[in-house]
Amino acid sequence: MKKLSKHLAFFLILPLCIACSSRVQNPRFVINEVLVINEQNYVDDYGQRSGWIEIFNNTAKTQDLGGLFLTNDRSNPRKYPIPKGDVLTKLAPHQHVLFWANNKPYQGTFYISFELNPDAENYIALYDESGTKLIDEVTIPKGQLPDVSWGYKTDGVKFNREGANMLAVLEKVTPSTNNYTLDKNEKVERFKHQDKFGASMTITSMLVVFLALVLLYIVFKLVGKGSVGLNKRKKEKDTTVTEGVKPETNEIPGEVLSAIFMALHEEQSDVHDFEHTILTFNKINRNYSPWSSKIYGLRQTPRK
Amino acid sequence: MGNFIDFLIDNLTTFFNNTGFANVESGHVIMILFGILFIFLAIRYEFEPLLLVPIGFGILVGNIPFDLSANLEIGVYEEGSVLNILYQGVEKGWYPPLIFLGIGAMTDFSALIANPKLILVGAACQFGIFGAYIIALQLGFEPNEAASIGIIGGADGPTAIFLTSKLAPHLLGAVAISAYSYMALIPILQPPFMRLLTTKKEKLIRMKSARVVSQSEKIIFPVVGLLMTAFLVPSGLPLLGMLFFGNLLKESGVTRRLAETARGPMVDIVTILLGLMVGVSTQATTFLTAASVKIFLLGALAFSIATCAGVLFVKFFNLFLKEGNKINPLIGNAGVSAVPGSARMSQIVGLEYDSTNHLLMHAMGPNVAGVIGSAVAAGLMLGFLY
Repeated sequence: MKKLSKHLAFFLILPLCIACSSRVQNPRFVINEVLVINEQNYVDDYGQRSGWIEIFNNTAKTQDLGGLFLTNDRSNPRKYPIPKGDVLTKLAPHQHVLFWANNKPYQGTFYISFELNPDAENYIALYDESGTKLIDEVTIPKGQLPDVSWGYKTDGVKFNREGANMLAVLEKVTPSTNNYTLDKNEKVERFKHQDKFGASMTITSMLVVFLALVLLYIVFKLVGKGSVGLNKRKKEKDTTVTEGVKPETNEIPGEVLSAIFMALHEEQSDVHDFEHTILTFNKINRNYSPWSSKIYGLRQTPRK
Repeated sequence: MGNFIDFLIDNLTTFFNNTGFANVESGHVIMILFGILFIFLAIRYEFEPLLLVPIGFGILVGNIPFDLSANLEIGVYEEGSVLNILYQGVEKGWYPPLIFLGIGAMTDFSALIANPKLILVGAACQFGIFGAYIIALQLGFEPNEAASIGIIGGADGPTAIFLTSKLAPHLLGAVAISAYSYMALIPILQPPFMRLLTTKKEKLIRMKSARVVSQSEKIIFPVVGLLMTAFLVPSGLPLLGMLFFGNLLKESGVTRRLAETARGPMVDIVTILLGLMVGVSTQATTFLTAASVKIFLLGALAFSIATCAGVLFVKFFNLFLKEGNKINPLIGNAGVSAVPGSARMSQIVGLEYDSTNHLLMHAMGPNVAGVIGSAVAAGLMLGFLY
């Protein structure tokens, strides 16, 4: 059993350690969709058309874009500082915002200080407040067609499970809205179609439940053994110090104690189950008034 | 004078139209009778009174008919009403983790630590959840609904509410009522399966008395328990985190006041609110459906499967254990997480066959393992389907 425990521990903990390897994470803000040449597409608040960049809050919390930097220049990460203090830069979970690349930053928070180049490759990056740490970057290749945007098919999913970059031409241009419209819970749909009998869910879940509890079993088996060993050594030490004194062996086992307490509990519950209700008037002599008693105005001494 | 009388009659008509008598439907009456039945069962037979009294009374509160078009903002589903604000704890799922904090602060895991192999019984009983999940799928429920129904088999009210509030909020009332009702009915549901699936010889198995667990082990348990389970199933974090945190408060020895508050006033307050609001949420218009009846039946099935799985797993496990180390299969039922009701059942049925064989302490091991197991299972399903 001891050997088995050790082997099990090895085989169970090893995959966990391997799983700790560096899996590519999707950024917290994703440059979600970019349109370089805008001829017939979305119009800004001034009635003008220009290229735009859509940023997506890829987390389940509200995040502020204020203070971050947008740039199209690798050597100048602080090219357009997104103004602080504008409530509109606060992005709700999994929501989008559009920045117009028209080189007219005086028009407002969402009009940035550079344009997208229709004849060359466009590098776009988002930097953090310090302007040194890259949050997300994207490179839109040269030779863009008018009114065709690039982005990620599923919002915020820049890297797939294998770590491959998912940037591609999108079927539809979807400024400030989801690149992929969700009308159903995909996870539920997947289980509905691929696991009609629930076998996959059952097997996976039972395996994980067992794995979690087997891990606990192994750890506490080992901890228990260590603790018992420690106690033994301590006892041995004690007996050598107090040689000649017999250790007490008449301890009451735990289950007997619990049975006694349960019996007592049930007995007491029975005793108090049904009682005749009798209303009486008893004269009570009080030498003091409880209303003015000091005890009600004092806190109990806190216990450790 | 004529105008005054017209006005008076008009006023009285408005008043009557606002009363419950003018708006009552058969569904309300049925639900009110259910509420009275729950209160009766709780007081007369002491079936989980701490839960059934608030739930039963909540059913009465939730089914007082009123004119919905009057815009009185009193109904549980009317945004901004007092009941709606209190219902947020159920709807958003923050009452259950608070209950788990209290459970952690009142649960002694030493039976489990002393005999860790009993943890596996707690894992086996979770098959009840997935057995019911499979059957619910076949009855036409969507996977998210089936998961919410299956979790009733975990015999853990807060977990069931937590998962259902996320996966299938429209089934919340039925699932919650079903989970708590069956927890109350454990003395009726479990013993027949326990007796049926075990031989006379197995029922008489005496288990070794558990060793004394050191304080250090008790302190290590919540920390390691959290790390092991939450790393594996992060989606179960709200429940597991609170459960183990509560237990650390209890066992650390230096936070006695916090532990006492968590297992005393705090858990009492949340239990009152949770129970009452679960009851209130069963408005006849949303609750009395064919789906609710199916959920009730599937809930009973889930409990039965969980009980059988636990007992049969112990029998199977015994094949690999040496004589003297064998486990009495009568504690297999305790792997469902209804603490301590199902462990008490092991003790009672065990005593029927040997009046000196006390199984309570041994059954507490799988019982508390069941709490962890069902929280892990709920976290898994949440991860898969939410």
